[in-house]
Amino acid sequence: MKPSFLDRQNTVAPPGFDRFLVPPAALAVHLSIGQVYAFSTFNLPLTKLIGLKASAPGDWSLAEVGWTFSIAIGILGLSAAVFGRWVERVGPRKSMFTAAVCFFGGFMVASLGIHLHQLWLLYLGYGVLGGCGLGIGYISPVSTLIKWFPDRPGMATGMAIMGFGGGALIAAPLSLLLMEHFKTAHSNGVLETFVTMGVIYFMYMMIGVYTVRVPAPDWKPSGWVPSVQPKPLVTSSNVALEVAWRTPQFWLLWVVLCMNVTAGIGVLSQASPMIQEIFNGKVSPSAAAGFVGLISLFNMGGRFFWAGASDYIGRRNTYMVFFLLGILLYSTVPTLGHLGSVPLFVAAFCIILSMYGGGFATIPAYLKDVFGTLHVGAIHGRLLTAWAVAGVLGPVLVNYIRQYQIEGGVPKAQAYSVTMYIMCVLLLIGFLCNFAMRAVDEKFHHRAPSTGNGQPASVKP
Amino acid sequence: MKVKLIFLWLLVGIPLLWGVFKTLQNALKLFQ
Repeated sequence: MKPSFLDRQNTVAPPGFDRFLVPPAALAVHLSIGQVYAFSTFNLPLTKLIGLKASAPGDWSLAEVGWTFSIAIGILGLSAAVFGRWVERVGPRKSMFTAAVCFFGGFMVASLGIHLHQLWLLYLGYGVLGGCGLGIGYISPVSTLIKWFPDRPGMATGMAIMGFGGGALIAAPLSLLLMEHFKTAHSNGVLETFVTMGVIYFMYMMIGVYTVRVPAPDWKPSGWVPSVQPKPLVTSSNVALEVAWRTPQFWLLWVVLCMNVTAGIGVLSQASPMIQEIFNGKVSPSAAAGFVGLISLFNMGGRFFWAGASDYIGRRNTYMVFFLLGILLYSTVPTLGHLGSVPLFVAAFCIILSMYGGGFATIPAYLKDVFGTLHVGAIHGRLLTAWAVAGVLGPVLVNYIRQYQIEGGVPKAQAYSVTMYIMCVLLLIGFLCNFAMRAVDEKFHHRAPSTGNGQPASVKP
Repeated sequence: MKVKLIFLWLLVGIPLLWGVFKTLQNALKLFQ
């Protein structure tokens, strides 16, 4: 059968192809799916579909609508783990296309749910179908970028994963603009915004589908000579997916990612009320929204900065910085709160959130160092289950401990202090796991010979 | 190839810069 446009065989780059075309292709996908982080802009309008100005009887509650985001993130982790191997087999173009179809389909089914006012259709559409688009889209360009940039894998994957953080910065104001544009006397504009965004993101993701290419098996950057000097933890061999996830290194990295994400995501989910409660009366709700925007910006920038830096200082050392600096900053936050210093408090959280983003962006290159490039996309997919766990653990820790403290008579301004110290403990666990990382035993290495760019001569993912 | 490269980077760069600008605009309220 003749291979289709989407097949891996048709995506092998011709000689002279500029590898710097691949990062914008990856960014087109990640900037689109990063929209999920701005889903909260729809929360309130979705609770006023009947009442329009205020929630009416029969309207969905905020808690019901809130589940949509949680389902989408949960399915992201699951689908990345389940479809990782398929993504490796079919290549980036078909997987990006599938992600685009799922994400678009998710918006359309959710729109139908809004039109019919059926909550389960919103969950099924944006949560399940859209979540599959998120998971497949998230991992689809990662191994391709690592193969194109064997000299700078951290920078390359950091650039793409930065897009996932940046997607929210675009989607939040875009959603508000569209809802304002489509608002009429009979509609608050959410339905029309969902349809429009689905179409816009589908077309935008197709830019990535058309542009992405995989390097030829014997390709390597001109003038680049793979380092012959062995570096600790960096392997020139490959470890297959079935073997990789049975190694202690996989689970150490799983805990490393989980602890780093838990520490950041808890704060991210409660940033606005937290700063208002700690600086009672000094920070208005609109200023708190500015704080959320600012830490989101650092979350995005940190992805590129830290992943790029890891190419020079090493992945293990980068995570050492995350954990040690994280412990230092989290332990000082309660003092900064007592001192009433808003700028120092904001600065501390900007650095913390940059390391949260940096953790996501550095992990693919860390996996490449430890397990090689053969199944790095699929292994990355499996590791993202740590994100799903952290996504529940982080907010639960912050919310419940705060509640427990307040019920115990602790003033609201001090209710976060214990949480900050617990975050320090989590980061210490992450530090110890990262410290315990060693190179994978040779008995786990894949037998196929490797080519110059780290790819096995015969890839049979 | 160079034109395509510039065009693609603009295609992803412009929306991203717009998003950053809008975020910074909001963030300024924190220090006002």
